[in-house]
Amino acid sequence: MTFRSKLFINFMLALLLSVGLVTAGVTVATRRAFDELNRQHTDALVEQFQREYDRRGHEVLNRVQGIAEAEPTVRMAIDLSRPNADISVYVNDARGVAQSHQLDFLDFVGTDGSIISSAEWSARFGYKMEWVTQKEDWAARGSFLMKLDTQEGPAVALMAVAAVRVGDKDLYVVGGQRLGKEFLASLVLPENMRAVLYLNLDPAFQPANLIDNTGPVVEAERFEPIIERERAHPGSLTEKINWTFDAASAEIFHAIPKLGRQNELLAVLLIGNSQRTVVTLERHILWLAIGVAAIGILFGLFLSWWAAARVTLPVRRLAAGAREVSDGNWNTRVAVRGNDEIGQLAQSFNRMTQELVDQRERLIQSERVAAWREVARRLAHELKNPLFPLQTTVENLQRASTQNPDQFEEVFRESTGILLAEIENLKTIVGRFSDFAKMPQPELGSVDLNDIVRNVVKLFEAQFSAVGRPPITPELHLGENLPTIQADTTLLHRAIENLILNAMDAMPAGGILMMRTTQNDGNVDFEISDTGVGLTREEADRIFTPYYTTKQHGTGLGLAIVQAIVADHSGRISVESEMGVGTAFHVELPIKPPHPQATPVVVEEIHEKKVEV
Amino acid sequence: MKLRLCLCLVTISVVLAGAAPLRPARRPHYGGTLRIEIGATVRSLDPTVEAANPEEADAKSEMDALLYDQRSEDGTFAGIAGSGPFRVSSWEAGKRATFAANQDYREGRPFVDSIEIQLGRPAHDRVVDLELSKADFAPIPAEQARQAADRGVRISISQPNELLALVFVGSRLGKESTRIGEAIARCIDRAAIVNFILQKEGEPAGGLLPQWSSGTAFLFPTEMDAHTAKEIWSQISPSPKLVLGYDLADTLEQSVAERIVVNAREAGISLVSRAMPATGKASSAQAAGPTRGNAIHVDARLVRLRMPSPLPRLALTAFINRLEPIAGIADSPVPESGSPEDVYYCERSIMNSGLVVPVVWMPQVYGLSARVRDWKQPAAGESWPLADVWLDSADPH
Repeated sequence: MTFRSKLFINFMLALLLSVGLVTAGVTVATRRAFDELNRQHTDALVEQFQREYDRRGHEVLNRVQGIAEAEPTVRMAIDLSRPNADISVYVNDARGVAQSHQLDFLDFVGTDGSIISSAEWSARFGYKMEWVTQKEDWAARGSFLMKLDTQEGPAVALMAVAAVRVGDKDLYVVGGQRLGKEFLASLVLPENMRAVLYLNLDPAFQPANLIDNTGPVVEAERFEPIIERERAHPGSLTEKINWTFDAASAEIFHAIPKLGRQNELLAVLLIGNSQRTVVTLERHILWLAIGVAAIGILFGLFLSWWAAARVTLPVRRLAAGAREVSDGNWNTRVAVRGNDEIGQLAQSFNRMTQELVDQRERLIQSERVAAWREVARRLAHELKNPLFPLQTTVENLQRASTQNPDQFEEVFRESTGILLAEIENLKTIVGRFSDFAKMPQPELGSVDLNDIVRNVVKLFEAQFSAVGRPPITPELHLGENLPTIQADTTLLHRAIENLILNAMDAMPAGGILMMRTTQNDGNVDFEISDTGVGLTREEADRIFTPYYTTKQHGTGLGLAIVQAIVADHSGRISVESEMGVGTAFHVELPIKPPHPQATPVVVEEIHEKKVEV
Repeated sequence: MKLRLCLCLVTISVVLAGAAPLRPARRPHYGGTLRIEIGATVRSLDPTVEAANPEEADAKSEMDALLYDQRSEDGTFAGIAGSGPFRVSSWEAGKRATFAANQDYREGRPFVDSIEIQLGRPAHDRVVDLELSKADFAPIPAEQARQAADRGVRISISQPNELLALVFVGSRLGKESTRIGEAIARCIDRAAIVNFILQKEGEPAGGLLPQWSSGTAFLFPTEMDAHTAKEIWSQISPSPKLVLGYDLADTLEQSVAERIVVNAREAGISLVSRAMPATGKASSAQAAGPTRGNAIHVDARLVRLRMPSPLPRLALTAFINRLEPIAGIADSPVPESGSPEDVYYCERSIMNSGLVVPVVWMPQVYGLSARVRDWKQPAAGESWPLADVWLDSADPH
C-alpha cells in the first residue's frame, strides 16, 4: 500500500470519525432537545388537564349547589322537615333535575342518609347513603372523586355534596359527573395526544376498565405495568410504550393518579403523547445530517485525495529517487521545494547520492589501484619464479664460457633446455592470464546439467584413484527428471572442472567428493562438497577474488572463472565451509536466464556472496 | 287510602259546591261528544283480526263493548255490528275512531251523541289533555294517578285488580326453582314499590288473588325479609346468575324490575334486569307464549295479570291459563269449585312451586273531565259503562 493510500485512508478515517462524531452529537443534542420539548409539552398538557379537571370539579360543585339553592329543592327540604313527611312524592324528582343540570348522578338524600330520589338509579330509593351524613363541611370539601355503584356496575364520578338545612334536618343533594369516555371526549387535547383513563374498580388490573374517548382501549394489557405501579405506589410517572417495532408508533404516557376522599386510588389518567411527529422530525433531521455528512465525506474524499497527493508528492519523488539509486543510478537527484522537513529530506537525499557517487568514484579508483597492485604483485610473483632459473642459467652459461669453455657445449645444451622450459612456463602463466582476460560470452543452448556433471566426473576418475595419492571417492546424487537449462555447455564444463580441481586440492589426504543436482523454484541447483581442510572466514570471504589463492602453486583464477561463468548465466554461487570438516559450493542456475547479457547492476546483485562460517 | 279518602272528599265537595248551579240540570240529558284518549293502537275493528298485543286487545275489547250487545260464554262480544249502544261513525285505523249513539239500542239511546276515541296517545299527553279539558275520559297509569290528581285531574280508581308478578321461565330453572323463587319473593320490598313507584296506588301482593276477592291473601306474606332470603340463597349451589326481563315499553315494569334487582343485590342474589322487545304487555285476555321469554334468554319476567272477573275461581283459572305457557305450571290444579278452600288450595299450590312471585296489586285508574257525569267504576272484567255516562255540558268549549 502506498504512502499516499495510507495517508488518504488516514485522512478518510479522521474525516469519517469527525463526521460521525458530529452527526452523533447533533442527533443526541436534537433528541435531547426534542425530549425536553416533549416533556415541557406533556407537562403543559398535564397542567392543562389538571386545570380542566379542577374546572369540572368547580362546575359540578356549582351545579350541585345551584340545585340545593333552587326553590323546588328548598321546598322539598321544608316538606321533608315536617313530621311524617311523605317522601314518596319526590321519588322521581332527581332524574329531571339531573337532566336539566347535566349531571350524570344526582341523589336527594334525607337527613338520615336515606335516598329519597336517585336520578341514575331510581330504584335505590329508601336505601342508605350514610357517608353523606358524616360531619363534614361539604362546601369546603368541594368536588371529589368517588366510586359509585350503578346498575351497570361500579363507576367513578366527580362528585359534590350540598346540604339544605331546614330546622334541625338536612336534605343532601349529591350530584356528579361520570368519569368516563364522555369526560375524556370533552377534554381539549392537541393533535397527537390522547387521554386514557383507567378506572380502578377491581382488585386486579382489568383491561376493560381502560378507556379512551371512544370506549375500551385496544391492547389495554400493554398498560398493565404502568397501572400496577400506580396501584402499588400512586404518583406521577412517565412511561413509553412501543406499539410496534417502528419507533414512530411509540407513545409517552404521563400517568396521573386520581384519589378519592380516603386517598384511595380510584382512577389513573394517562396523557399519551404520540412520538410520530417527533420521530418523523428526528428522522428528517437525521437524514438531513446523513445527507450533509455524505456530501461532506465525498467532498472530504476528494480533498483528502488531493491533499494526500500533494503531501506525498515530494515523498514519492524521494521514493522514486531512492529506487533509481537502488537500481544503480546514483546520479539521481530530486527537486527541492521549500525548506520544510520534506525539503530538508530531499536535500539530504541529494547530498547522500552525491556522496555515494563520490565514494563510488573513490572506491573504484582505490579498487582499480588495488587490483593493479594485486595483478602486479601476482604477475611479479608468477614471473619471479621462472625468471630466477633463467637468470641462473644465463649466468651459468656466462661462467661456463669463460671458465670452462670445454664444458660450455654441454652446459649450453643443458642451459638452453632449462631456458626453454622456463620460457614455456612463462608462456603458460601469461596464457592463463590471457584466458581469464578473454572470458567468452556464453552461447546458450539446451543443456542437461546431469550429463555435464557425469562427463566431468568421468574425466577425473583416473585422478581420483591415482597411484601414490590417497583416493577420493566421488558420490553423485543427481536429481531425476531434472529439466534442461539454457546454458553454455563448454563454460559449465569448465566451471565444474575448476570446482572439482579445487575440491581435490582441498583433500590432499583423500576424502569424499559429493555432487548433487536438484530443481528448485525455477532454478537448477548444483552443489559440490568435499571433506577437505576447509576455509577460514577470511579465506571464504576472498575465495572468489581473482588471483587470490591459498595454495602454493595456484593462479587464484579458478574460482574467479567459476564465478564469472555462473554470473554470465544469471546464476548465483555461494560457499559454506567449516575448518577441518570441509567446504561446499552451491550453484543456482536459472532454467531460462532472464537477461543473457546481464547489466552490471544485475550482475552485481547476482554476485551476492553468502558466507556462513 | 288516605289519598283516596281525600279524593272522595274533594269530589263530594265539588259536587256539593256545584250543586246549586247544577241543580236544574241534575237530570241526565242527551247530547255532546265524549272525547276519549287511550294509549293503545287498534288497527282494525274487524273481530276476526287478531290483536297484535294485549294493549290492543284490551282496547279492542272496550270498542267491541260499544258496538256489540251480546256477550258470549268466553267473554268476548258477538252478534251483529250495530247492536250495541253505539255504531261506527268514522274510522281511521290506528288513529281515531268515532262512534255515534245507536238510536235503536235495546236499552235505549245512550246519553252522549257520539264518542270520539283518539288512539295511541301517550300517558303523559292523556293527563295533560285531561288537565286542559281536551279529553273527557282516559285511562291513566296507576303510578301517575297521584300526580294527575295533584294537578287537578278528576280521578276514578278501581279496586286493585291487576297483578304484577315475577314469573320464572320454568324451563330455565332446575330443581332449585322453589328455593330460588322463595329467596326472590322474600327479598322484594313490596311496600316500597307500592309507596314509591306506584305512589301508594296499589297493594303489596303475596298471593295470586287480592284480599277483596279471595279473602285469603293475608295468608301469603308480603313483608321483606332480606336475611331469610340471603340464607335461602346461600343454600343454593351453584348460585345461578338470574336475568329478569321486563317490557321495554312499560316504564312501570322497568322501575319495578330495577327495584327488585336492588333488593336482590341487598340479599346477595345475583340478578340483573334486561328489557325485552316491546311486543306488548300481558293481559288477561291474551297469553304470551314461552318463546318470548326464551328468545332473549331471561330467567324470569314481569307479567301483568288483570282479573277477568271478581270471582276468585274464574280469576285464578284465567291466571293459571295465562301463566302456564311461561312458567310451565301445567300440573297445578285448577279450582273445581268456587269454594274459598278450593281456590286457596290451588293458589297455594302454585305459590309453593316458587315459579310465580306476586309483587303488587294495581288498580285501574281513569281520568275524567269535570263534565262527565254518572261514571261508575267498572268491576273487574267489565267494560267501560260509557252508555250510562252523560255530559254536563254538551259543548265543552
